[in-house]
Amino acid sequence: MATPLWELVNICKAFPGVRANDGISIRLNAGEIHALLGENGCGKSTLIKILSGVHSPDTGEIRLNGRPITLGSPIDARSKGVATVFQEFSLAPTLTVAENIFLGRYPRRGPLVDWAKMRSEAARVLTSLEIAIDPARLVGSLSVAEQQLVEIAKAISVDATLLILDEPTTALGEHEIAVLHRLLRRMKNRGVAVLYISHRLDEVVELVDTATILKEGRVASTADATRLDIPSIVTAMIGASVEEHYPKVRNATDEVLIAVSNLRSARGARGASFSVRKGEVFGLGGVIGSGRTEIARALFGADPASGDIRIEGRPVRIRNPRDAIAAGLALVPENRKFDGLFFNFHGGPNITSAALGAIRRLFLLDKRGERRITSDFIQDLEISPAAAHKCVNLLSGGNQQKIVIARWLFAGSRVLILDEPTQGIDIGAKIAVYRLVNELTARGCAVILISSDHSELIAMSDRIGIVRNGAVVETLPASQVTHAHLVQASASADGAATAA
Amino acid sequence: MTHHSALRRLAGQEFFGPLLALLIITLIVTVTTPSFLDPQNFRNIALQVSILSIVAIGSTIVIITGGIDLSPGSMIAFLTMCLAVFIKNQGLDLAPAIALTLLIGCALGIVNGVLVAYVGIPAFIVTLAGLSAFKGLALTLNGGTPAFSLSEQLGQVFYGTFLGLPLPFFYVVGGYLLFTIIMEHTRLGREIYAVGGNESAARLSGINVARVRLIAFSFAGACAAFGAVLLSARLNSGSPNYGANIELQAIAAAVVGGASLAGGRGRVMSTLIGSLIIVVVQNGLNLNAVTTSMQSLTIGLIILIAVGLDVWRARIGRGLARLIGTNTRRQGA
Repeated sequence: MATPLWELVNICKAFPGVRANDGISIRLNAGEIHALLGENGCGKSTLIKILSGVHSPDTGEIRLNGRPITLGSPIDARSKGVATVFQEFSLAPTLTVAENIFLGRYPRRGPLVDWAKMRSEAARVLTSLEIAIDPARLVGSLSVAEQQLVEIAKAISVDATLLILDEPTTALGEHEIAVLHRLLRRMKNRGVAVLYISHRLDEVVELVDTATILKEGRVASTADATRLDIPSIVTAMIGASVEEHYPKVRNATDEVLIAVSNLRSARGARGASFSVRKGEVFGLGGVIGSGRTEIARALFGADPASGDIRIEGRPVRIRNPRDAIAAGLALVPENRKFDGLFFNFHGGPNITSAALGAIRRLFLLDKRGERRITSDFIQDLEISPAAAHKCVNLLSGGNQQKIVIARWLFAGSRVLILDEPTQGIDIGAKIAVYRLVNELTARGCAVILISSDHSELIAMSDRIGIVRNGAVVETLPASQVTHAHLVQASASADGAATAA
Repeated sequence: MTHHSALRRLAGQEFFGPLLALLIITLIVTVTTPSFLDPQNFRNIALQVSILSIVAIGSTIVIITGGIDLSPGSMIAFLTMCLAVFIKNQGLDLAPAIALTLLIGCALGIVNGVLVAYVGIPAFIVTLAGLSAFKGLALTLNGGTPAFSLSEQLGQVFYGTFLGLPLPFFYVVGGYLLFTIIMEHTRLGREIYAVGGNESAARLSGINVARVRLIAFSFAGACAAFGAVLLSARLNSGSPNYGANIELQAIAAAVVGGASLAGGRGRVMSTLIGSLIIVVVQNGLNLNAVTTSMQSLTIGLIILIAVGLDVWRARIGRGLARLIGTNTRRQGA
């Protein structure tokens, strides 16, 4: 076998209480896109950090062209040809796109920054990546998807022989994902080794040449052994075959629970109208920026909004989230870290935060009762038992998401708006979230589901409303919606304003 | 291994670090300064810590919401002048004069709170303005000059005893008990921690964020007002110069006690320990005739060390865990 460009040999790395990497070997060939897959906590992040010089391995070797090398620091790793796009953005929002791309290595003329050169170089990098963003714009003014593209441009602008991307597509829409894929294929043709991490298996299967699957810190399936089809990947990832990826149970009734008409907000809901029945999952489909999240926020009173909202036929006035919660609404926000969780609290207080009145006895909180009730929730929803006595930042994404959902179960909400509820969580946790959705609908709750994962949206919804420009332009039974339909909906988004 | 886990549970308590620091500092001062153990000196420390620790309760609560309050010092100057004017110039009785002063303190806190929570000006700016404005207000009263010998009975508010114990002891214990209960055991307290932990998540949980912030500042005003009354009683006077820099000492007490300026973390009780640390250090330096400039420097160093330790605590904790010998096991195996 030829010497691979980059090779990891028998990498071990332990942290107190956990052996994160336990003898991992991977060969990364030039001109190959290599997926690194596995559930949360399988050791992916640790391995990436070792390759980017953030951590050094306890034992084992990193080889470049067959020769062992050490990557002492992120700067060292970058100078040796490793470019990494981390999940967390590392952009400075108050600087321009060009400044961000060249952060820390501004081109100079004598002691001064050569601004003209920086601008033209940045423009060249962006053009070569087919990214239509003005390099003079401030990063803070860009959309999340655009920021992601700048992040990638920044990584690629350094001459790299190994490009690592950690969940690069979570914030991207179909179009941007297509651009990224084209870009990665071009990098591959230039002889770069690409290591690609994603929870979106549909996308992985389409893009990559080979895949290594990790489980509990070890290689569960080597690149040679991995078959690139979703069922076998899932089986290798969780160590058991999954009978039903989307365990959808149909509980929809004919009774309308919530009817929304002409919902408008300054942030981007522009006359949205729809209704959801008891036990129904109503999907909101559309591209990023089509206004799905804005509709959710307007409905929940998170943004000032106008419109007619009726619950079981009775009009309700929602001026703020408090009104919405009192009316039985719940919002599981898109960004659980910034809008959902209290990192200074253990699991229990995170669950009770939206219904503190329920654990109040006279003037005091019944903390013992709170512990009892919330530990029941933690058990029932199969949340990690650590949630009961640890701050929630120490939990995995899946556990965190379940805690946010548990909050609304505890509050007794009847209309749940789930905005990208499975983003960035692993397959096992995704299926657990789907089961929760089933349980909610079985109880007669209405669920409004927003998801950029088309397969998930189609499989888990009963009906889907296509959103363009902040309004629902078409409502279809989920069974009649196809992947192509949703992509097309996004492609023709420009003409939607007149059509609506 | 039970002693290990007990040790670790104790070490895991938030007040453990500050308490340990207080013990070590007290030990050092005791060894180096014989007069420290004098009962009269203990009394001095207790009286001195009472005012600071009560003002610091309010500062801690504002800090837990993620805010900051720079105004208590000037507020105290103004309020001691208010009390003086009420008693001396208006001829009010002691009880209504004190009640009025407390009310004005709450009102000033509410003004701060409204500007921060409803107008949306950052707390630092609002209270920085207050630091200057309240001092200005203080100077408008009584021609800007201090007023002495206010009342025969006023001193009793501070120097009086009950069951053989000085009254400030009861104020401090009562204040800390009351606010510990509010912060740890009421819905309001939980909401204060929630707002400090994640304002956006708090809003989406239906918590009235603005109201919570307003209440926090009104608590801070009430605590400063109580401190002002005690200071006036102690010195039987009012002066526009009273209370200077106490806001910084109060913030220092909160931070040394472990409160995070990022909000959401900190305990009212730990602030009492923080106040004691600061007062014991000052007292030790006083007894050794250290100049005020050196005292300022020392307090500055203590703040840096305390916060530095907090930043490093995670790492120190990991090192300790390794020393104690946590067994390394595979996750989920």
